[in-house]
Amino acid sequence: MDDDELIARVAAGDDTALRVLFSRHAPWLAARLRSVLSAADVEDVLQETFLAVWTGARGYRPEGLAGGWVWGIARRQAALFLRRRGPAALVLPAVVAADGRHAGDPAEAVLSRAEIADAVAVLGPEGSPDREVWQLMYVEDRPVAEVAELTGVPVGTVKSRAHRARRRLRSALRSSERVQRGRAAEDGRATEGGA
Amino acid sequence: MSDPDTGRDYPAASRRGRWGGGPPDVDLGRVWTGVAAQVWRREPGWLERAAGRLLRSPGLARALLTTPSLLVPWLIASVVVLGAGAGATLGTGTPYVALLAPAVAGAGIAYAYGPGIDPAWELSQSMAVSDRMVLLVRALAVFGLNAALGLAASAASGAAVAITFGWLVPMTAVCALALAAATLARSANVGVVAGLSGWAITVLGGRVADGRLTAAVTSASLVLPYLLFAAACGAVAWYATRIPRGTS
Amino acid sequence: MNIELTELTRRFGRTRAVDGVSLQAGPGVFGLLGPNGAGKTSLLRTMATVLPPTSGKLRLLGRDPGGYGPRREIRRRLGYLPQSLGYYPGFTVAEFVEYFGLLKDMPPGRVPRAVAVAIEHVGLGDKARAKLRTLSGGMLRRAGIAQAIVNEPELLLLDEPTAGLDPEQRVAFRGLLREFGQRSTVIVSTHLVEDVGAACTEVALMDAGKIVFHGTPEELTARGEGSGAAGDAPLERGYSAVLAAARSVTAARA
Repeated sequence: MDDDELIARVAAGDDTALRVLFSRHAPWLAARLRSVLSAADVEDVLQETFLAVWTGARGYRPEGLAGGWVWGIARRQAALFLRRRGPAALVLPAVVAADGRHAGDPAEAVLSRAEIADAVAVLGPEGSPDREVWQLMYVEDRPVAEVAELTGVPVGTVKSRAHRARRRLRSALRSSERVQRGRAAEDGRATEGGA
Repeated sequence: MSDPDTGRDYPAASRRGRWGGGPPDVDLGRVWTGVAAQVWRREPGWLERAAGRLLRSPGLARALLTTPSLLVPWLIASVVVLGAGAGATLGTGTPYVALLAPAVAGAGIAYAYGPGIDPAWELSQSMAVSDRMVLLVRALAVFGLNAALGLAASAASGAAVAITFGWLVPMTAVCALALAAATLARSANVGVVAGLSGWAITVLGGRVADGRLTAAVTSASLVLPYLLFAAACGAVAWYATRIPRGTS
Repeated sequence: MNIELTELTRRFGRTRAVDGVSLQAGPGVFGLLGPNGAGKTSLLRTMATVLPPTSGKLRLLGRDPGGYGPRREIRRRLGYLPQSLGYYPGFTVAEFVEYFGLLKDMPPGRVPRAVAVAIEHVGLGDKARAKLRTLSGGMLRRAGIAQAIVNEPELLLLDEPTAGLDPEQRVAFRGLLREFGQRSTVIVSTHLVEDVGAACTEVALMDAGKIVFHGTPEELTARGEGSGAAGDAPLERGYSAVLAAARSVTAARA
């Protein structure tokens, strides 16, 4: 059974469908959240997330983007959770947004980092050219010349790989973000109450 | 069961194994039970919450409100029967309410014991909220409710005051009889039959003796015998709910 | 010690269903074996405070269940699965488990989570809101186990708990027993000898109301070696050997 059907069943009050959704999505959601939250906090946020899924399933438009929808809910629950906790919880530095978005809200920045960590996988396996450039230039913050020397390619190549990496990341993040923004307006009211 | 995972070798039973994947230090099983607790929970209604406070026991309140004869279909049936009786009384002058009310109550009392307790009878006997307590509270609630309904029907049918209240004592006796029979035989149906037939015999006997159908209700000399009989039946019911049956 | 029985006897008329049983049990899984009619169910009922003893002493969780107050306190910390469990057909599994949780005086705030944990523990997670009348025999039995464990009892009494369970479920159930045996006293009455061998740390064998063997499963197995008794498995042979010996003693006395 695909996710769209499951969510429709959840909307109709079928708790066994929620259970299947949980078994499918909780593991990767937990992994993504774990990169920015402690294990105990991940558990709390995941619980709130799936309760929000239970109450907000009616707001889902079946378009095969269930993963993005669920992450959107998890993201919002995590942000609420972090804001409640206060600045002390946000010890992780704000991330460099791949497409120049300014994460004014530290909670959002923290979560952006989680999203990016996941999206970076789209650049290819560790050691592939784009991934390596991303790691050296944006994560380790090295200047272009140093990266060229480390990777043994001309500066021009480094720049074009960096440009390509940014473009690919941007598009990967945007496609999931489109889902989140589009759904947020509709189901935001239903799921925010889950906090 | 909030202890941390100690590692199991039965994947089917392992709470972590069922939720494969995810970071090893995140207990997805615990997360799911937290979700399930909210999704599966039953919210008690205002009546159950109030009863729980009154009886100082949420379990007792829940048991009370699952009494078969307090459920809506039964209540509707009681209202219909007594309402018809009131109408008939208004029409014919014979105080049918006074004759019907004890019968209706007797049947209701038998089902305070019946299917609500019977199926899991042995298990109920091992509960902290004792089955006898449940029976008592249920019987009182059914009795009170039926008395209230009967009085309302009686008043509505314009019966004389003596008759309006007169049937309360026989009703007590009939209810006690029904309860004793039900608990002895461990069957609600036996209780109903005993109560109804006992009452029918009494009414007809009164008619034969006194010439009026209402003799069983209005005759003052019967009050004491009724009450004594009720007390005896109560003792029987008490005794019957004491001795657990079964061998080996 | 969670259970202390001293010369416990339960008579029905002239029959002694339980005849002078003395037993002590602390935390762990305790198997109660014996043929039908041996008195296992009566013994379990006595320990579940459902049946008062005719004579002898009984102390459960350090209390005497003769008094109303102590008995109520024992029952709050007790889990019992009778041999035949009736159910309310219109109840869902969750409602059923919750009902008995409430009747065990569990604080209402703790009940929803305890119900969820118990239901998941017996593997009925996808049947939680199914009505009992739609369940198979094995599932009903597991629902019965769930109500027994919902209050995390210190004393867990299970009478033929694996009836109707398929082999995979029985394996899962043994895991449950072991887990509870770490903190509580679990007594499992069964006529399935292999259930006992796998999960129990101590075994008692009952015949005609008396305990004719009390020891570890290994000791029971040892009794069967070289005795030529019937049985396909070592534990079964031990079981037969002990029974045969006990009955010949009784016959010799008679």
